[in-house]
Amino acid sequence: MANESDVRYYKPKAEFSLDITDIQNFVYDMSRCIKCKGCTWVDHTYMPGAKFMTRCPSAEKYQFDSYGAYGKMRIGHAFGEGVLDWNEKALEIIYACTLCGACDVGCKRNLDLEIELSLESLRVKAVQDGVGPMPAHKKTAENIAKNHNTYAAPHDKRKDWIADVKPADKAEVLYFVGCAASYTNKEIAQSVAKIFKAANVDFMLMPDEWCCGNTVFSVGMIDEAKALAQRNVDEMRKTGAKVLVTACAEGYRMWKVDYPKLLNISTDELGFKVLHLTEYADQLIKDGALNMNKAMNTRMTYHDACSLSRLSEPWTPYEGKRQWMGCVEPRLERRRGTNGVYEPPRDILKAVPGVNYVELPRMKENAFCCGAGRGTREAFPDLATFSAEHRLEEIKHVGVETLVTACPHCKNNFAQAIKAHGDDVQVMDIAEAICASIES
Amino acid sequence: MAISKENYNVLSDIVGPEYISDDPVICEGYRSGPGGYENGLGYERVMTKIPGCVIMPSCTEEVQKIVKLCYRHNIPYVPYSTGFYGPRSHPHVEDALLIDLKRMNDFILDEKHFYVEVGPGMVYSPIQEECMSHGAYVVIGGGGAQASAIANLIGDGWSPLSHRIGLPHRRILGTEVVMPDGEILRMGSLAQGGDDAFWGESPGPDLRGLLRGYTGLRGCLGIVTRMAIKTLPFQPERLEPTGITPNTALALPEKRVKWINFVVPSKEAQVKAMKEIGHAEIGGAVTKVPLFWRAIAKSTCKEDFWDIWGKENEETVANFHIVRVLLIGFTSEEQMEYDERVLMDIMEEVGGVARRTKPSDESWIKNADSAGMWLMCGGYVSVDYVIETMSQAPEHGPVYADLKKKYTPPLMPDYGDPGWFQSFEMGHQGYSEFLVYWDLDDDTNAVDQFYVDTSKMNIENRFYTSLLGPHQPLYLTGPKYGPNYHEYLLKVKDEFDPKWMSHPPVPLSHDIFVDRAPWMENMKDWESPEDLEKRGYKS
Repeated sequence: MANESDVRYYKPKAEFSLDITDIQNFVYDMSRCIKCKGCTWVDHTYMPGAKFMTRCPSAEKYQFDSYGAYGKMRIGHAFGEGVLDWNEKALEIIYACTLCGACDVGCKRNLDLEIELSLESLRVKAVQDGVGPMPAHKKTAENIAKNHNTYAAPHDKRKDWIADVKPADKAEVLYFVGCAASYTNKEIAQSVAKIFKAANVDFMLMPDEWCCGNTVFSVGMIDEAKALAQRNVDEMRKTGAKVLVTACAEGYRMWKVDYPKLLNISTDELGFKVLHLTEYADQLIKDGALNMNKAMNTRMTYHDACSLSRLSEPWTPYEGKRQWMGCVEPRLERRRGTNGVYEPPRDILKAVPGVNYVELPRMKENAFCCGAGRGTREAFPDLATFSAEHRLEEIKHVGVETLVTACPHCKNNFAQAIKAHGDDVQVMDIAEAICASIES
Repeated sequence: MAISKENYNVLSDIVGPEYISDDPVICEGYRSGPGGYENGLGYERVMTKIPGCVIMPSCTEEVQKIVKLCYRHNIPYVPYSTGFYGPRSHPHVEDALLIDLKRMNDFILDEKHFYVEVGPGMVYSPIQEECMSHGAYVVIGGGGAQASAIANLIGDGWSPLSHRIGLPHRRILGTEVVMPDGEILRMGSLAQGGDDAFWGESPGPDLRGLLRGYTGLRGCLGIVTRMAIKTLPFQPERLEPTGITPNTALALPEKRVKWINFVVPSKEAQVKAMKEIGHAEIGGAVTKVPLFWRAIAKSTCKEDFWDIWGKENEETVANFHIVRVLLIGFTSEEQMEYDERVLMDIMEEVGGVARRTKPSDESWIKNADSAGMWLMCGGYVSVDYVIETMSQAPEHGPVYADLKKKYTPPLMPDYGDPGWFQSFEMGHQGYSEFLVYWDLDDDTNAVDQFYVDTSKMNIENRFYTSLLGPHQPLYLTGPKYGPNYHEYLLKVKDEFDPKWMSHPPVPLSHDIFVDRAPWMENMKDWESPEDLEKRGYKS
């Protein structure tokens, strides 16, 4: 157990950066948690009532404070100070977490502490200390190293999803398909291609697309993630495409936020624009280039994928000094989830004829993660299932027939939970929803 | 003595193995500090311990079984609802059992009789949302929307909305307590033997006062497992949540709910306006707005706050007089129009000028935003809560401000800010609060000294204060506010908890802290028994 007198305060006026490879950069943030649990509760202004009060899957499932960000900050602080030893429970606490960013935006509602980066840094430390990641994550990493995808599927089958619509050899728009849409959710890739075609947009693929590295990055395997980031960014730059579009929220976050983070550049310095399909299609619809005429007569809701919403604000590297009262110099533009992609998917779905669109009680930055992403499904399937089932309760609460997501991982996780319970809810990706309303 | 394997197994059988743990990493997650209310100060460093074991019961019966086992086997335990209230709600002795009550978040709304019934795990904002959906409201205490309603009501339980809705103990209705030895006490209408919690009073002494003490006894007299809370009628229109984080607010239906800020010429005018508003029985909240709060509201980040606050000085702070009034059309738009006319008459009389005020509520109605108090410095505590007359606050505040200067730094430079005050109970009482802020990285020993010095200052000036009992050295404050308050409190403790198993050594914890902390030695100029340590924890 930790020595009481050693867990004390961060030294003032110290240089720091937002580099997650050094836990010391986040000891200040971890030491300032006040247990208000803003990380766990839905923003109180939006609190929907005595049901659906929380937005942290780990805290909701495991209940002990130690699984909420308030507990993890204390545990992380003790690790940062070198007064707590890793054990199995510590690994479970650090990894049985969807890294969904709910805690981060909740904290920045009042305190501006870097919770998400602290959690990412803790996982990097687990790997650096030789105890992480979890065995299931190591298997995924092996798959990626060997076959460039997370599923151990043959790399030469990656483009097997291509059907009626053929990509161009060269185009301004590059569609990054991602592992899921390439192998397990080909319907999403095919829908995206049809959307491009309907809008008369030429698109190309990466000549040799590899996994985005979401899992290896998310579990703290920073060297492997950095190598993938460098390789993918280099390949993208070589294509000459100006815009990268993806329909995978996790891939979107990797390209837009975490590649720049790994490569110590800003999102703007990538040299190309990263857009999620929802942003791209929304603009096409608003420009009149894409017409959604076919009615979908259904009561529908939308689940905000964490990586598209609160986690998707662009990245800017930061190095500075922390001074008196914890003030930093130079001024830090904090990523608070304010500018996540919230409206484009909603605008799209509301534009579909016949749709009776309703919001979930927990929406946008307050959404409850489906539980699939960032290595959770691989290592903690029970947490992933719990989260999806918990969210489904909310989905059924508003009485919808159709649940739309904007990430294949969300779709699959919900689909499994729906199948297991025999629920009468249809789950579809937003690419499929768009496609269904443009097909004549 | 650590909890034995045998006792652990019994506890595990009570709640199920997934709801108990003595893993050191799980227990580390329940550490009090280093951040948070009063954390980072000597009291937290000296007095708090990581629990030896954490257990999460789901119902009163489980709590009772846990407590009975603890009592039989001399296991100190601490009830814990959200953990927000800093070190005083965390274990103070080694190997204590922390009873985390968050699973007990039952909620029942009795629409007909205007009360809600909750467990200790239920926090305020969901209660308020449910109430407002049914035409009622509660006061979300200054502790914040994230506070356990039960913990807040048996401790503090007030906010600017207390202008109308009354003092917290009067909103406590039927209540169920697991006493320190495991006996169940039912109060109010629950004492009749039925399951109806609608009424607060019952035959015999009203023990609600005992539950609260002055401002709470931090679980040293048992565990409240169920409470009915009185709600008051609200207006019917929805207060719509708007905005996106971090700028979220409730959009107000302006003909039924409206905040108005008035600039008034002096402190005297401020007090007079508040009194008159109370006498006229209008308004839902009436409070002073310190300049400090405005700086917080204007700033976009910590650094921005210091830029804004750094431009102020003693003169600007001393000459800033704002009265913020919440008008509510409880019964009709016409009623609110009438209230507004009355308000304007009062303001004209005192020279108040209405300023443009946003038609939204960022804090108090549903989201009491206490968490933002830590943004500027990292360290924060309210060193006093005072429920007295309306005219006391303006006299009391400057004395506090003078004392604060002596301890600044490490206290945040606040240019002589005399705290804030507001109307309670329609102006029949005034509430004032004095808050201090500091950087955790500074030497905070002086903050510990200041805290105790405030009691001496209050005693010397014969000011009333409600931060007594476990909040200050009992042998310093008890003889002066009683004159034998300390003796009574200790008799009550001995009677209900003869083995001192329920959150030891509260209520003697601050006395023991002073004795243990070398930097407090020079502060001690009062008498206390030599066997404090032994008396505070008999195991």
